[in-house]
Amino acid sequence: MSDDIAFWLAYLTNGKHLTWYASFQFTIFAALAGGALAVVFGLLGATFRNSRFAPLRLVGGFYASIVRGVPDVLFFLFFPLAFEQGMEWLLATQVCSPGDIAAQTAAWPPCQKANWLLGTPEYLILASVSLGLVYGAFASTVIHGALRSVPRGQLEAAQAFGLSARQVLWRVHIRQMWIYALPGLSNVWMLIVKATSLLSLLQIADIVLWADRLGAPNFLPTVGLVHDDWRWRYYLVLFVFYILVTLLSEKAFAAITRRVGRGVLSEEHN
Amino acid sequence: MERILAELALFMPAVLFNIYFAAASIPVGFGLAILLALGKASRNPLLSRFCRGYIYAFRGSPLFIQFFMFYSLALSLNISLWKPWGISWFVLHPLFIGPLVLTLNTGAYTAEILYGALRAVPRGAIEAARAFGMSPWQQFRSVVWPTLIRLAWPAYTNEVVFLFHATAIVYFALPVIGQQKDLMITAKELFERDYNAFLHFSVAALFFLAVSLVVFFSFGLVYRRLMRHLPAQPGLRFAPKWMR
Repeated sequence: MSDDIAFWLAYLTNGKHLTWYASFQFTIFAALAGGALAVVFGLLGATFRNSRFAPLRLVGGFYASIVRGVPDVLFFLFFPLAFEQGMEWLLATQVCSPGDIAAQTAAWPPCQKANWLLGTPEYLILASVSLGLVYGAFASTVIHGALRSVPRGQLEAAQAFGLSARQVLWRVHIRQMWIYALPGLSNVWMLIVKATSLLSLLQIADIVLWADRLGAPNFLPTVGLVHDDWRWRYYLVLFVFYILVTLLSEKAFAAITRRVGRGVLSEEHN
Repeated sequence: MERILAELALFMPAVLFNIYFAAASIPVGFGLAILLALGKASRNPLLSRFCRGYIYAFRGSPLFIQFFMFYSLALSLNISLWKPWGISWFVLHPLFIGPLVLTLNTGAYTAEILYGALRAVPRGAIEAARAFGMSPWQQFRSVVWPTLIRLAWPAYTNEVVFLFHATAIVYFALPVIGQQKDLMITAKELFERDYNAFLHFSVAALFFLAVSLVVFFSFGLVYRRLMRHLPAQPGLRFAPKWMR
């Protein structure tokens, strides 16, 4: 019995498993950075949609509907690729001589010197930005609605107290907006958490990729424990992991809603 | 222009796979969702718990992981079950397992929508039906269901569009067999050939957008028909809240 426990402990703490545990950092980073960026892009999008300048309004509306009209995976793949190509094109205009371009046989990059090799950190940042861009469109709808839910009287009262337009916006309007936006932002956060499972599509060795590698059948005793296809067990662990994250997030959002809702009249308080 | 037309022709067979995945899973998923929603609302604690847990698990975890989990589970049962029965070519085929997982997934999401609508059915209407002496089935058939489906339809429309979008990741988790490629795989392969990200991904996005609009339009027509007893309802708008 104790031998069994020692054996499984040793198996679960071997180098590959430790790398798997370490790879959770990528998922967590992408979720947190993506969430923060989504709020930023959401605020920007909502501001654009509320703008008095018609083209900006159009841009805001266009952003919200186009990004949500295509699958998140498509944008998630497209943005980092397009960004990389854009940077390489910019680089090519600076470093490539006509001779270099003539010598290049592959379709891309324009010349060998303009090749920008991306590693895991760069891809992680790009993935976070594209998560932020995609779910910022969702957040912008939520925030747009929340900004309109703030009672007009509050803003008028702030104006009557002599606050400038900027002060009204930052100290009253956006402060009070959160309580209306929180249920929707909680939904967006859940979407972002679930979308972090896609990181392996951008060549990041994330939890999904390692689960696949660890569970793959092994027939060589020299490589490690000989076992048949255990992938479903590892995926089951990830399945449970994501459910737990959802559970925890729900609890956290309930606590935040209670805290932000102090002093705001609602049905629950009456 | 010619380039774009050629590109559109390249994607034509691919979009059929996405449509197949969505069309194969939506009807079954809808049936499953009705059962799950009624189960969640049931007074039997065991049944209610089970349905609640199922809905929570499938809504709380990524579809991508669900694909991997069910596919690897099916693979590991291959030697002991599918092969002896001689059905492994069928069970392990992406065209079977893709819709299967999508059905399980959309069943949970739709069940949550239907459950919300079920709780919003006015109590008075049900009590009146009971006062008329209707049996539980009659109550459901003629009072609860018509109200429920009207309340749930706009949210269900979003769910269908979202499910269609979710078909984009099927072939990232399941093996691509021969020329059976969906929009995303086609776009990715074309990109790997000539590195023209803007053209290929935009065309794929265009297809997704076009089918989404068709879904919105046709579901809007159904909604109009459902609401024909009410004067001048505002129709479904494109791009309302898509929460998944």
